Amino acid sequence: MVIFGILALVGIVSIILKISQGFDTKSAWGYYAAIVSVLLGIFGAAPLVAIAPTIAKADWHRPVSRIATMFTLAGLSTVIMTIPLIFALPPLVVNGLRRRSIWFDANIYTPHVFFGLAVIGLFLIGLSLLWVTSIPDFAAMRDHSNGWKQRLGKTLSRGFVGTDGQWVSLRARVGMMGTFYFMFLIFVHILYSVNFSLELVAGWKDAIYPMYHAVTGIQAGIATTVIALFLFRKYWKLEEFIRIDQFWALSKLMFATTIFWFYFFICAFIIFWYGRTEINIMTIKILVNGPYMPVFIGAFLLSFIVPWWIIIWNPVRKNPRMLTLIASIILVGHVLDRIRLYVISWQVYSDEMIHNRYIPLDQIPTQMLSPGILDILIFFGSISLGIFIILLASRMIPLVSIWETHQSILLTKHIKFHRTEVYAVGKPD
Amino acid sequence: MSKLSILGLYDNPDSAADALDALSESGFDSNNFDVLTGTPYPEGAFGEHTPQHRLFRFPLFGAIVGLTLSVFLTTTTQVVYPLVTGGKPILSIFAMLVIMYEMTMLSAVVTTVIGILFESRLPNISMNVYDTRITEGLIGVSLVCTSDKKEQAEKALKDSGAMEIKSSGKQSDF
Amino acid sequence: MQQRRKLGQKQINRELLNGNLQTPKWYIPVMIVLGSGVLFGLGTIFYMFNRGLGVTGLARPVYWGLFITTFVFWVGISHAGIMISAILRLTQAEWRRPVTRAAELLTVFSLLTALMFPLMHAGRPWRIAYWLIPYDWARGIWPNVRSPLFWDPIAIGTYLIGSTLFLFVALIPDIAILRDRTKGVANKIYSMLALGWRGNPRQWQLQTVAGVLLSALMLPIFVSVHSIVSWDFAVAPAVEGWHSTIFAPYFVIGAVHSGVSAVVTMMCLMRWLWKWNNFIRPEHFDALARLLIIVATAWLAFTFLELTFSLYGRDAPEVALRELQIFTWPWNLLFIIFLLTGYVIPVGCWLFKKLRSNIAVMFWTSILVNIGMWLERFLIIVPGLSRKQIFVYTWEGYWPSPVEWIILAWSFAWVSFLMLLFARFFPLVPLFEAKESQVFTTEMKVGRATVPMVIRE
Repeated sequence: MVIFGILALVGIVSIILKISQGFDTKSAWGYYAAIVSVLLGIFGAAPLVAIAPTIAKADWHRPVSRIATMFTLAGLSTVIMTIPLIFALPPLVVNGLRRRSIWFDANIYTPHVFFGLAVIGLFLIGLSLLWVTSIPDFAAMRDHSNGWKQRLGKTLSRGFVGTDGQWVSLRARVGMMGTFYFMFLIFVHILYSVNFSLELVAGWKDAIYPMYHAVTGIQAGIATTVIALFLFRKYWKLEEFIRIDQFWALSKLMFATTIFWFYFFICAFIIFWYGRTEINIMTIKILVNGPYMPVFIGAFLLSFIVPWWIIIWNPVRKNPRMLTLIASIILVGHVLDRIRLYVISWQVYSDEMIHNRYIPLDQIPTQMLSPGILDILIFFGSISLGIFIILLASRMIPLVSIWETHQSILLTKHIKFHRTEVYAVGKPD
Repeated sequence: MSKLSILGLYDNPDSAADALDALSESGFDSNNFDVLTGTPYPEGAFGEHTPQHRLFRFPLFGAIVGLTLSVFLTTTTQVVYPLVTGGKPILSIFAMLVIMYEMTMLSAVVTTVIGILFESRLPNISMNVYDTRITEGLIGVSLVCTSDKKEQAEKALKDSGAMEIKSSGKQSDF
Repeated sequence: MQQRRKLGQKQINRELLNGNLQTPKWYIPVMIVLGSGVLFGLGTIFYMFNRGLGVTGLARPVYWGLFITTFVFWVGISHAGIMISAILRLTQAEWRRPVTRAAELLTVFSLLTALMFPLMHAGRPWRIAYWLIPYDWARGIWPNVRSPLFWDPIAIGTYLIGSTLFLFVALIPDIAILRDRTKGVANKIYSMLALGWRGNPRQWQLQTVAGVLLSALMLPIFVSVHSIVSWDFAVAPAVEGWHSTIFAPYFVIGAVHSGVSAVVTMMCLMRWLWKWNNFIRPEHFDALARLLIIVATAWLAFTFLELTFSLYGRDAPEVALRELQIFTWPWNLLFIIFLLTGYVIPVGCWLFKKLRSNIAVMFWTSILVNIGMWLERFLIIVPGLSRKQIFVYTWEGYWPSPVEWIILAWSFAWVSFLMLLFARFFPLVPLFEAKESQVFTTEMKVGRATVPMVIRE
């Protein structure tokens, strides 16, 4: 906790130093933008692990959902990180001319304002989701603890005593908030990916890119949840609640999103490769085989090839240790993937070039930028800040949702079926 | 001594399970008797031994065959007939990938289906005794044994509550 | 919401085989009507072969018209089967059971139909089908693997063969039931098809494993098929509005939208025609409608992205195309109808539980969706080609000729005819799934309430 606290502090100081260097050199902000995108993935998408199965009425997620939802708190780190970046983003009118944007003819600071609002909105929705799903646990805290915890429980449980009506409205609210969070997350991904990378590159026109961004973010979010589960299970001794079932189910989600990584990538790539117009060739050069080719290959291997080939084997999917290893590989791949997308976008941006139809091939930089010391500190600092917040919150909110675990115990049982034992799950609605 | 097949029909799963126990106790090899049902039951519901299968090898084998074939097909057609179209290189890997992918999957699916039939031991042309009421909800316990053990088997089936016992095959010694 | 009823195996057999063991009263008249429609359509197709493509409305610059639209439409419908039976099987959704067979069947027949359209569109198919099969050895003409038009038949062929095998494997236990209920020649044929199925634990276990394994194998094929169909359009850089990276997932999600809606239409018909009220219950429509709301909304998001990014580049021809597509008569009318029928009206209805549990409402809304989805493909293909661009001297629009409309109508008659023909000989609702569902559910008491339970192994 102390270590994460210190790292977080160092990170915040580095951000301030970074701001003091000014916003004029756009290429200096490339790594920063990549970090924000990584945060959006790992902290923003993790709660989906709790939301999606709830909507699909699966039953394995109950012990996992709290840990996944706690990541909404870490969204604070994303919010803090976003603020300077908004100042670095060029306005819609550059040199008296309007640049291409999905905002078309809107006010020149529209993307800045809307993205700022969207990130804060996402954080607030996440908080309320966490709060709604924890109400029964706060009520338990109110009834079974003393001191500040009891007072906190009393305030946050809002008089929840568990009447039928309260449960019904609770379930409805969890479903609604979850859906809302999911839709908002996609919205934030669309805004961020388009405004903070695609629009900065003249000629890069790629309708699937926002979805690619969202899907790969979700992949990273699931990987984060797997790692978090593994660590919490090990150090908080939660083996009884978090079982192999949960890892098994998560592994399938991880597998699906890993395949999606490739699918969304190839959908864009094959269009550019076949198109062969100057714009298409330039786009491929920027994204794939230009200066950032080594990074791309790293991302391709670590986000797709390696995890795909490992998770395909059934025994691996039931082994938490192996899954955690793969999840870590995926996260490294995710970071590389974001670097290849964002750093070059900020590197090729210039006020003159942005109005071109496309960037001539000889104007694409041949050297990749390496991260500065501040970028590295900010990277570790921002992630530590998120983890710090989660650890802090884990003192107040139970890590495993008590009410959902009770529900799970109530609704599943082993029954004797003629000569064998089977496992039966209740489906109340 | 000739072999014959016997079938006991039961109207509830528990007595069918009893029948399996009784047959095991009477010394019949568990490979020689089987439960026949009109619907899947959870594995081991009758106390039968869980069948082992190697189905997962089939798609793997098929995928490898399909991939090899498709690599061969796509490269040779391009190399043998090297006409440049759309400015694409001869041996365009991204175009070949699509076909390689489809042929790999096709071959995997086909071998899987062959594997399913093979592992289910279908088509099955043995003339073992059968009853059409099994697909109506009765549970059959079928058994193949030598004719000298017929009485012993029928007794085991009867004692566990069989509604009816049928048998077929050459009945030589009776 | 519990509409499940306890049913014995005998009763399941009797109810679900009611169309197989005897011929329903409506069956013969309906088949005569459909059959004559099919014959008339086939006649029109041969008339077109005889006279040439001049009898269609195709003319410069629009050379892809109603045939290609309908091809994409039927490929889209075919995505119903695997969506329902594979995804829902893998997620262990209990309500999938009565729907799977019909959905897979729809896949097979709609793919068969889809495949005919590019061939018809070739005008004289036997003279140019060497784009698929290398039969023109004398001239040294080979299929070109770099052409998306060659990927298409490969992908669709894979999907068709895979779906047919998938359908057959799951059909074996049900054929065995029919074998046990028939006599004479029918019995001989069913016996042969049932491959000597006995129903021992080994066979049942493999049946279950096969369902999961084949689903897992079919899923990637399912995604690839419509992606590849979309690449027919998207890899062409010259046509504005087609050269978009989002096409593949956009087509796939649209296909799921139209395919699942088509399954809903079919389920309504099955419930009305064969009176399978015990198996196809309002709760199934409710679940499908909720699935459809999610699919439709995702599809709308993709539509929105597609439109946004087409304008994002601010290229004059692209903007002109969108003006034509959205604001110019008669496309603007079609565009509005497309939006209303593809999303606004159906999803508006499905939001209300009362409406989505109502079979008639579901029937009509699902038909509306497919009208909208057909129009979507039409609006992508035709205005995209009749573009206003330099060096294009003919800007006339394209409108399908009566021959094309007749062939479109023929395709519906043809698919329905095939489905009904199949339904006469094989059960449309998988009997063993219905029985399995009876075995694998139990109940528990929580306080005073009775909660249904599903058995998992």
